[in-house]
Amino acid sequence: MTQLVLGQVLNGAIVGAMYGIIALGITLTFGITGIVNFALGEFMMVGAYATYALAERGGVPYPAAVVPACLIAAAAGYLSNKAFFRFTRNNLVNGLLVSIGLISLFESASMLVWTATPLEMHHVLPGSLRVGDLGLPKMKLVVFGVIVAVILATYLGLARTWLGRAAFAYAQNPEAAMLMGVHTPRLETAVMLYSTGLAGLGGALYASLYSLEPAMGGVYVLKGMEAAILGGIGSLMGSLWGGVILGIIEGVGSIFLPTAFRDAYGLTVLVAILLFRPAGLFGEE
Amino acid sequence: MGQALLWGALYALPLFVRSDFLLTIFTFTFIYGILAVTFDVIFGFTGQLSMFHPAVFGVSAYTTHLLVTLAGLPFWAATLPSAAAAVMLSVVVGSICFKFRLKTFYFAVVTLAFAEMIRLIVLNWNSVTNGTLGLVVAGKPTIYWPGHGVVPIKGPVAWYYVTLVCLSITVLLCARALRSWMGRAFAAIRLNEDLARTLGINVFRYKLLSFAVGNALASFAGGLYGYYTGYIDPGYLSINQSMEVLAMVLLGGQGTLTGPIVGSLVLTGLPHAIDLRAEVRSILYGGILIFTILVMPRGIVGTLGAWRARRVP
Repeated sequence: MTQLVLGQVLNGAIVGAMYGIIALGITLTFGITGIVNFALGEFMMVGAYATYALAERGGVPYPAAVVPACLIAAAAGYLSNKAFFRFTRNNLVNGLLVSIGLISLFESASMLVWTATPLEMHHVLPGSLRVGDLGLPKMKLVVFGVIVAVILATYLGLARTWLGRAAFAYAQNPEAAMLMGVHTPRLETAVMLYSTGLAGLGGALYASLYSLEPAMGGVYVLKGMEAAILGGIGSLMGSLWGGVILGIIEGVGSIFLPTAFRDAYGLTVLVAILLFRPAGLFGEE
Repeated sequence: MGQALLWGALYALPLFVRSDFLLTIFTFTFIYGILAVTFDVIFGFTGQLSMFHPAVFGVSAYTTHLLVTLAGLPFWAATLPSAAAAVMLSVVVGSICFKFRLKTFYFAVVTLAFAEMIRLIVLNWNSVTNGTLGLVVAGKPTIYWPGHGVVPIKGPVAWYYVTLVCLSITVLLCARALRSWMGRAFAAIRLNEDLARTLGINVFRYKLLSFAVGNALASFAGGLYGYYTGYIDPGYLSINQSMEVLAMVLLGGQGTLTGPIVGSLVLTGLPHAIDLRAEVRSILYGGILIFTILVMPRGIVGTLGAWRARRVP
């Protein structure tokens, strides 16, 4: 029994890290620029299919395919920002609707190119590590490690550099930041590029573990949003913790409760958190 | 004046148009119109971004059908208990949300969470709802048709009129409620909640009232839709329905009663009017949505209204 629980905790943490990377993108765009990007899951989808195209069809080795995949997702993000998102600053409903429109655009475009049949990549890194009685697939550990490293690096990058300070200043007061010499449009673009690039990375990593389908983004963006709220919108490390906690709740919950309600465990916790601690677990009141 | 003409035109339409295809599109428009108008009461008039509409839509579709088959009630009698069920659900969910003063984004997320939980229950309660496979609705509601007596609804023209009458009743009820003290309180809450509270408006009670009224009226759409299409499945409760209704209201014009119906007409009619592959259609749909939000943020009706106001001094 303990072994089963332990296994689910580890597995949940790995799945949760995937939620976390989307949550980080949501938190960054909303916290810094005030733009709501619910279409982030679609950039993840773009990254995943780009990885598939390069690695499986193009014959590029997987690690070398990840970087261009992120760049492709970021490029899509740049275009969407230039054309649409920058007009929806601080307007939740408009951001939501533009996102719905984009989700519809991206999903049907990928349906046209890739059809609805799920695609699967060859095993990138086969084999698993034995920890006691538990077997952990190596690739999952790599994915977890990469995501944690990326989130930590983002945190440090924002906490320690001039760009990070500029971003925080911009989040607090855009006008004042502009007067202090922050090039705000450039900063906004940078945040958008980074968050969609991150989503692309999430997709590239996802492609190495699970099968791809055009509708994959919608599920993940919901989970990412849950994770972001759980951790507290605006809190960078909170997004990682929120994701991991959500993943573990789902994993462990499905041992003791009916699996059909897997998606509801996280939601129940989310509602409870929102009612009693609206700023999230790690957010500031 | 213009509105009366519009409604008159809708009632006269089947006299001139004999195309079943067009009448079918209008029938779907009217049913979705009921959903969109009632959503607008909560969102456009009271300012609460609710994501609970699909839950009410789905639950009422199931309860209406189950009351007809299991309890043997006639369709129209079954719509009342399902409206009561919608009110009960709204009071529970609304009380939780409004007691804790959840606003905008947080209200949307919590109502979405509750809607998802209800969807999961419907999806997995196999003995009653038949899970993913859904239920086939065999019977048809009966109506009094001049010259034929009480008959089951049959054919596009009959369905056109039944749904149009239902939509008209919904719009009349909403218009009546919004013109009364209730509507004033809703507007006060939308414009400035704190100010409304200092003016002695019980914000909690009126928010709950708006939520309950909107959802109760929306429940009729669920029952009708199930019986019109002859099929109910958990897809009725999906998040996409929420997005669709929101898109209709924004496209048509939030805070108006005609706007949601116009939005419903455009978004149900357009995909059928353009004969293209499903994927291309969906791309077009997304494009139109983005275009409207960015270019006409007040929606079709709102923009037309502003344009007319500018022309007539």
